Amino acid sequence: MINRRTTLLLAAAFAAGVSSPTLAQTTYKIGYQLPLTGNTAQYGQDFKNAAEIALDKFSKAGKPFKVEIVFEDSRSDAKEGVSIARKFVDDKAIVGVLGDFTSGVSMAAAQVYKEAGMPQLSQTASHPDYAKISQWQFRNITTQAQEGPLNAEWMYSKGIRKVAVIAEQTDWGQTVVSNFADKFKALGGQVVFSEFFNRGLADFRPIITKIARDRPDAIYTGFFYEDGAQFLKQMKQLGLALPVHSTSAAYNAQLIALAGADAEALNLTATFLPSNPAPQVQEFVAAWKAKTGQAEPGQFPAQAFDAVNIMLSALERAHPNVTRASLRDQLAATKNFPGVTGDTTFDANREPAKKLVRAQVKGGAFIAVEK
Amino acid sequence: MSASDTASGKGRSYFWSAAILIALFVLVPMLLNFLGRSYLYQVANIMMIFALLAASMHLVTGVAGLLQLGHAAFYGVGAYTAALLAANAGWPFLITLPAAGIAGALMALLVALPTMRLVSIYFAVATLGIGQMLYLILLNWVSFTKGPNGILLFGGLKIFGQDFSKPAMAYFVVAIVAAASIYVIHRLSHSYYGNALRALREDDQCADAMGIDTVRLKVVSFTISGFFAGIAGALWAHTAGYISPPDFSFNVSILILAMVVLGGLGSLPGAIIGAVILIGLPEVLREFKAGDLRNVIVGIVLFASILFMPKGLVGEASALDLIRRQFGGAWRSGAQTGRIGWK
Amino acid sequence: MDYYLQQLVIGLSVGMIYALMAIGFTLIFGVLNVVNFAHGEVYTVGAFAGLIIITSFAPPLVAVLLLVLAVGALTGVGLERLAFRPFRRFTDEASVKSRAMREATLMSSLALSIVAREGIELIFGSQFQTVPLKLLLSEPIKLGPVTIVNGDIIIFVTSAIMLLGLQYVLKHTQVGLSIRAVSNNALGARYVGIDTNRTIVWTFAVGSAMGAVAGILVGLYYGAIFPNMGFAPGVKAFVAMVMGGLSSIPGAVICALIIGVAESMSTIFFPSVWQELVAYAFLIATLIFFPRGIFGGARERV
Repeated sequence: MINRRTTLLLAAAFAAGVSSPTLAQTTYKIGYQLPLTGNTAQYGQDFKNAAEIALDKFSKAGKPFKVEIVFEDSRSDAKEGVSIARKFVDDKAIVGVLGDFTSGVSMAAAQVYKEAGMPQLSQTASHPDYAKISQWQFRNITTQAQEGPLNAEWMYSKGIRKVAVIAEQTDWGQTVVSNFADKFKALGGQVVFSEFFNRGLADFRPIITKIARDRPDAIYTGFFYEDGAQFLKQMKQLGLALPVHSTSAAYNAQLIALAGADAEALNLTATFLPSNPAPQVQEFVAAWKAKTGQAEPGQFPAQAFDAVNIMLSALERAHPNVTRASLRDQLAATKNFPGVTGDTTFDANREPAKKLVRAQVKGGAFIAVEK
Repeated sequence: MSASDTASGKGRSYFWSAAILIALFVLVPMLLNFLGRSYLYQVANIMMIFALLAASMHLVTGVAGLLQLGHAAFYGVGAYTAALLAANAGWPFLITLPAAGIAGALMALLVALPTMRLVSIYFAVATLGIGQMLYLILLNWVSFTKGPNGILLFGGLKIFGQDFSKPAMAYFVVAIVAAASIYVIHRLSHSYYGNALRALREDDQCADAMGIDTVRLKVVSFTISGFFAGIAGALWAHTAGYISPPDFSFNVSILILAMVVLGGLGSLPGAIIGAVILIGLPEVLREFKAGDLRNVIVGIVLFASILFMPKGLVGEASALDLIRRQFGGAWRSGAQTGRIGWK
Repeated sequence: MDYYLQQLVIGLSVGMIYALMAIGFTLIFGVLNVVNFAHGEVYTVGAFAGLIIITSFAPPLVAVLLLVLAVGALTGVGLERLAFRPFRRFTDEASVKSRAMREATLMSSLALSIVAREGIELIFGSQFQTVPLKLLLSEPIKLGPVTIVNGDIIIFVTSAIMLLGLQYVLKHTQVGLSIRAVSNNALGARYVGIDTNRTIVWTFAVGSAMGAVAGILVGLYYGAIFPNMGFAPGVKAFVAMVMGGLSSIPGAVICALIIGVAESMSTIFFPSVWQELVAYAFLIATLIFFPRGIFGGARERV
């Protein structure tokens, strides 16, 4: 074992030496920690596909350097996430890290990156404290602090006054409820029901029956697309016909595939819509279809696509003096980056300011709506 | 056992203890330093924490023979106690560590008291139920535990003002605590107390008839096991810097159980080896790019080891006697000579 | 009043699902006195197999169920051969009663369940599989103030058939007699000339077949088929079995219903996140007052 390890180490050193900046084509390495196996693997696999699409395009664009992404499977388990973080930190060739999927793992890994000084950009970590851990943490997903109030205003403007709110019992779900409820109440509305459910709950019927009892005008939900499909199907089953609003996390073509006609008229806010005619969006959608065979990419893969591109663009600006610190500084300087999820600028707290559009499911597809 | 046996036996055990200590505190750090990767320190830390967890479960499952399916709950209670005290009240590691142990012990006591009279499989299911209940409470009692938001410790690992957060430094802290705890468990399982527990495991009605207070014994061993699981929890909280409920789910309980059984029921070195293997093997596989197949391979390895070594790698349990009886030979254990079954 | 009634009905339908799985689980445990940790994976395999059959041929539901029964039986036989038979090498009394061996089979079935689950995930991915929507058993049926679905009726009928069929087989057939004999005293049964190995294989086949059918039915009922689907119902089935007294199949079914109703009715009084806690609290309370389960206790089961 020792021999093998030493050999590996020597090989790595050799490779690092070969790819040192003094030779012809520099190769920078970016680490990407994500769940490739386990029960959140579908999200991680989506991120990997999106990352590969982005990297592919970048490699063909004739840039002065090459980039390699090292994928490591964290299974959305903090133990593994921290070990992977240490692995990335040890590899001197890795200058930046993407990931993780859940806030929990991102934050545990962040402790390592903070201590070692490695920029970390998460495409989906939405815990309020994540970006506060240190100056090395970035995220490009809009938090509920932005999305909640937008949805509150939208629903209020439609004449809805009494709302039932449910969300999954995760840090993200907690922020969904609190940000929405605060704004909605401030506008003069009433939250008549507010509860959480454990993600992966198959049977929403007791909750739906409870909601029906309180007679709200509409329901605001914080779920991912699989729970969303279950919820919508069971609402129809129980005959509860109320408008349902949701967040961008629900946006995924699979939601419609799983729920069928029951998903009709679902409202949500999104930063990414495949029907957006902007060229980079259409290019991404086409590449996604070609690579995965799926009809359309969802919100999450779009986030990953943008995250990778933001990292690549920061690398470009930092080149040829790429170090972890200089990459971090260039990331922080990202301004109006034109991504598929809208323009991204990192503010002083390394949080993004994004634009959200309103959308609805009509005729089996997500369509942008005006009011 | 003759007098000379005992003397050389003691000599041998001193040798082993010294060897282990030297390996742990001198050889391994030297090796890791040489290899220069903090990742290896991290893996080593996790191995030691889980070795402690496996050792604490071994006391209940291996020595006392009580199959229990909720061990991660005590681990979680300890971790949350340490984290809440450190994050909210700013208590230092040296105080949160024993506090976590005590919390784990208290929780174990609370679990043991109503369930001790339950027999084997009922007891196992009761521990499963309680373990799940504790997990759900950690997850949903948001006002107290912050629920799914988890707890962030900005302080890391500070002892007497010195920052031990770097993996290499944390290694020594974890190693000292884990080694000391495992030593205590070792002494316990090789004392009169441990032998009484073994008697209990083999046949508790018999032990009862011999005057051993089985219920009290079970409760005490359960409490001690909870104490050490709590200690392991504090170690995890301080070295990881952030904890959340999924770190303590049912899957973790099963993982710890697998470690104990892999190493062999009733064997403390076995439990530790089981921990090292079940943490190390997936990492090795990751290293060799078989990442996606990690868990399948671990499952296969577990299965193969159970199949070919049902007594575990270093086991001591009656399965060993099983084999002895079948193949006769020099291993006659006194009164049981050839009187088994329907001869 | 309608509200309480609806929650009760939902609880019963959820309980029926747990009961479906508990029947097969209890049968296997009752005979072998070992926990089959892989039963949840047989359930999952049944669901995936059923899905493949549906998307390939689209036969009528009854045909799907029969085919899945066959797949389940085969899986059960394979499982028994891999995880349980090797530990029956030793046939003297002390080994048969040995705890270590029991724990070894528990771990081997656990190991196999890990391999199976990870394998399914590697092949199909961990997401919810897309189920053809018209095949979902979720046509609502209004019965006065409450709404149920056609899936509820199908599951009820299937459980009833399984339960009654099993009772008939156990009480009135030769195979059933040998199963009861082996579960009562394995060694004694051998000495009376019963082929214990064959009986055990039969038990596994039947129990797993039922588990697999449970899998496809529930998969179609909720429209959620994914690799980890066997875990939650598996735990509930296990709990139901223990509450019911380990060796009583009707007992397990009744306790499964109780768990389902407790979960559902609890949402009336508590936020729904505490649902599962209620089920477990119920379990603990039951065990404290009935240490051998509600319907159990006839035999010394150590």
